[in-house]
Amino acid sequence: MRPPLPEILGASDLVVELGGRRGLLRRRAGVRAVDGVDISIAEGETFGIVGESGCGKTTLARALLGLQRETAGDVRLQGRRVSGLDPRAARHVREAVQYVHQDPGAALDPWWRVGATLAEGLAIHGVTDRTDQRARIAEILAAVGLDAAMAEHYPHELSGGQQRRIGLARILLLRPKIVILDEPTAGLDLSVQAAVLRLLRDLRARFGLTYVFISHDLSVVRRVCDRVAVMYLGRIVEQGSTATLFAEPRHPYTRALIAAAPHLDGRESGPSLPGDPPSLRAIPLGCRFHPRCAAAADTCARREPVLEQSGAAHAVACLRWRDLDAA
Amino acid sequence: MTAPVLQVEGLAVHLRGESGVARILDDVSLTLPRGGTLGVVGESGCGKSTLLRAILGILPRGAETPTGAILFEGRDILSDHAESARGRIGFVPQDPYLSLNPVFRAGDQILEIMRRHAPGSRRDHRDRLVELFRAVQLPDPEAALRKYPHQFSGGQRQRLLIAAALACDPALVVADEPTTALDVTTQREILALLRSLVTERGLSLLFVTHDFGVLASVCTEVAVLYAGRVAEAGPTRAVLDAPRHPYTRLLLACHPDRATDLAGIPGTVPAATAQPPGCRFHPRCPVVHSGCAVEVPTMVALGAGRAVACPWHEAALA
Repeated sequence: MRPPLPEILGASDLVVELGGRRGLLRRRAGVRAVDGVDISIAEGETFGIVGESGCGKTTLARALLGLQRETAGDVRLQGRRVSGLDPRAARHVREAVQYVHQDPGAALDPWWRVGATLAEGLAIHGVTDRTDQRARIAEILAAVGLDAAMAEHYPHELSGGQQRRIGLARILLLRPKIVILDEPTAGLDLSVQAAVLRLLRDLRARFGLTYVFISHDLSVVRRVCDRVAVMYLGRIVEQGSTATLFAEPRHPYTRALIAAAPHLDGRESGPSLPGDPPSLRAIPLGCRFHPRCAAAADTCARREPVLEQSGAAHAVACLRWRDLDAA
Repeated sequence: MTAPVLQVEGLAVHLRGESGVARILDDVSLTLPRGGTLGVVGESGCGKSTLLRAILGILPRGAETPTGAILFEGRDILSDHAESARGRIGFVPQDPYLSLNPVFRAGDQILEIMRRHAPGSRRDHRDRLVELFRAVQLPDPEAALRKYPHQFSGGQRQRLLIAAALACDPALVVADEPTTALDVTTQREILALLRSLVTERGLSLLFVTHDFGVLASVCTEVAVLYAGRVAEAGPTRAVLDAPRHPYTRLLLACHPDRATDLAGIPGTVPAATAQPPGCRFHPRCPVVHSGCAVEVPTMVALGAGRAVACPWHEAALA
């Protein structure tokens, strides 16, 4: 699906196999955590990726970053093909893509002052002059709403919200174009979450960033993302502008996810989704979702749906979306 | 309605530590009627977990003797360390992945609790457990008895722990954010299960959470904690629709479903060792008056079961 603005980061037919091993005589197959994903992220947008745990969100992020070598398919960055490389070379050409860890506190060395951690990142990327480093750190700390004195603190002295801000400062120092945010609000209190989301919005405008926003919190995704892709067992099952996707979800899985999110008014809408996603080692034939799908028909067990355009800015991979839409 | 199952009156829990006395809870009063569902909601550091620990009698070492009273079925379980009474309180922990010992069969771990607290033979316990597994909708209850924790999914493990909480036929179940580690789809199933157990078994449920959506889906009554005190209490629907305490109003305005500008709340929750005098929210409060820094606000009854600890609850937020 074409994004409305020029693409900055994209992938086609991306496959990532995990845990495969080459034995002496035969190859042991791994599991396909990402299995044929097409994605095209536009410059300046916030692109959400949602789905239950184990659906391949984080593996997709790692493949986009170049930390995980793709098994097949292509990754494009700013119009260039950047796939087919080993992780070291891949990270080098994909420097413009950076990642904010889900738990930025755990990603900080407890024995190092925050300033030293921040300076290390700069040094790795070639900024070795101390005065230069200090100036850039002070500037970035101010940008994430922290006092420059924070550089003298140890990680345990920071609150959860402050740790998130340091996590952001750490990658912003490297002047990325694209930031992959992995569950950026998980475990945060409501008031801190609001402040972090607002900060993310301000930073995006100020530094001209593009976000890939991985989250399972649909309220947050609805609030901050321009477009959303819904993943199930390694595939994108629905994708569209946030407004369309939430107003008219077409895939039964998306409908169930939206219905499951608890609302302030206590209402519950739509059917619930029983059970857990099947293991990646036993992916169902036909549509991967059919064993859990309330709307599954006989064909769903035989034919595998492909992502098809279902509206101006909306694509869905379901054999029955037209019937369901009419119902 | 009969006598409440749980009544907390003027509970204070203080911890003595290196950096002075931490006033974790002060003057907390709550009532949970039999068959009721009460949610305790608040941000980290507000004292939710300590309240649960005080009720379960598992306060950490270093805690000063709590003051006030915790009446469970009319008996003060705070003053006499009533082990036998506490056997009738079931507990559902937060993390189903950390709360079961991986090297023992899950069923055996629950049977051990029953041997310790519930009357009956081994055979009775086993039969009861199969019945409980059925009640919490575990697939194939007989086979589940022989399985190890890793053979269950996260949602199934939480069902196991709910079965464990019900094992000794409790009058009260306390749950500590039982769905935070789960996916939304699984969360919805677990919340539905808890609701059905409340109606079908006449359970009383004390539910601690930081998620207002989860609160709205399970609890009919709510108490909002801030910095160790109750800020506001009443029927969940009424409190969520028209919050009266400035803290509750600001906090709900941070919810992504409601937020207009994602403002957040200025400042941070005070450290328990440095609670501000007067109203503990006053340094962050947009409607603060001079008296707020001096006088500890008392709960003002608003009618219809609602109460708020703020004399300025009618003032508009600036």
